[in-house]
Amino acid sequence: MHPIVVTITSGKGGVGKTTCAANTGCALALLQKKVVVIDGDIGLRNLDIVMGLENRIVYDSVDVIEGRCRLRQALIRDKRAPELYLLPTAQTRDKTAISPQQMVQLCDELRKEFDFIIIDSPAGIEQGFHTCLAPANRVLIVTNPEVSSVRDSDRVIGLVESQEKGPAHLIINRLVKSRVKRQEMLSMEDIVEVLSTEVIGVVPEDENILMSTNRGHPVALNGQTPAAMAFHDIARRLSGEDVPLQVQQSTSFIKRLFGRG
Amino acid sequence: MNALKQLFKGRNSADTAKQRLRFVLIHDRAEIPPGVLDLIKDDIIAVISRRLPIDRSSVSVNIDVAGEENRLLVDIPLLAESRRRPDGAKRQL
Repeated sequence: MHPIVVTITSGKGGVGKTTCAANTGCALALLQKKVVVIDGDIGLRNLDIVMGLENRIVYDSVDVIEGRCRLRQALIRDKRAPELYLLPTAQTRDKTAISPQQMVQLCDELRKEFDFIIIDSPAGIEQGFHTCLAPANRVLIVTNPEVSSVRDSDRVIGLVESQEKGPAHLIINRLVKSRVKRQEMLSMEDIVEVLSTEVIGVVPEDENILMSTNRGHPVALNGQTPAAMAFHDIARRLSGEDVPLQVQQSTSFIKRLFGRG
Repeated sequence: MNALKQLFKGRNSADTAKQRLRFVLIHDRAEIPPGVLDLIKDDIIAVISRRLPIDRSSVSVNIDVAGEENRLLVDIPLLAESRRRPDGAKRQL
């Protein structure tokens, strides 16, 4: 299998890109893939803290680009999975610190070592997004079942196609099945129809995510939570397996059902 | 009745969201702000009504997306008073 660069992005901020990047990376690594996750949000570093690796940063991607260290020195090994690495970004620089061309070169270097290169892109449609889009073989757009997120996704899908990086696929994040059933929330089918874009995974709302982020321990590493199972399905689909799409119940709903909520 | 309608709308807000998204995405994709259509509609009404009696309140101007092609769909109902019999029935051809 050729190495694959997967860029995870969104139009709107706060929809769960970093959570999706961290967990998809962990899930792929548990499938025995060699994985590196790159924080593409220069100046707003977050993938490190979500993964619980913030204390181990010495060098970052901008140091690599500007020649202050070798690529290998900037990679942080996550020992909780067989072959999982983080390439953190600089916290004190901005999006102009890495050009699209430099990002392509960086990924070409990483392709020699890894099966999957997951890029956590900044939200929006500006330079930071274009830099993260440049090396992509696959683009996943994180969308919440909510009008502003869906609208902004349409804009990003258009840009991805115009850069000939399409077709993009959707990760529908934070879906609550019971609310879809009550017709209070857009369904996966509604979003697919409106955006004419295929879905690679549906991640249910899962209260374990907040706790896992608090601890710096992504749910996909060992959890059987609803979101963790969705991320494992996404990882298998990215690896080329044909996994039927299913929408898991949210944890809060399960708890309510058993009177524990 | 209105309250009932409101209640019904509230129950199925997902469908409202979908309809609103459809509308806004058509305009986003065509890069035509919805307000522009209202201005075009006023212009069309002014031009046509100079020559023909039209039902101003029923004129509609919409963008229709068919594949790669966007088109403007304009519907202008004519008020053909003169061709109508006094009892309101239409004349047979």
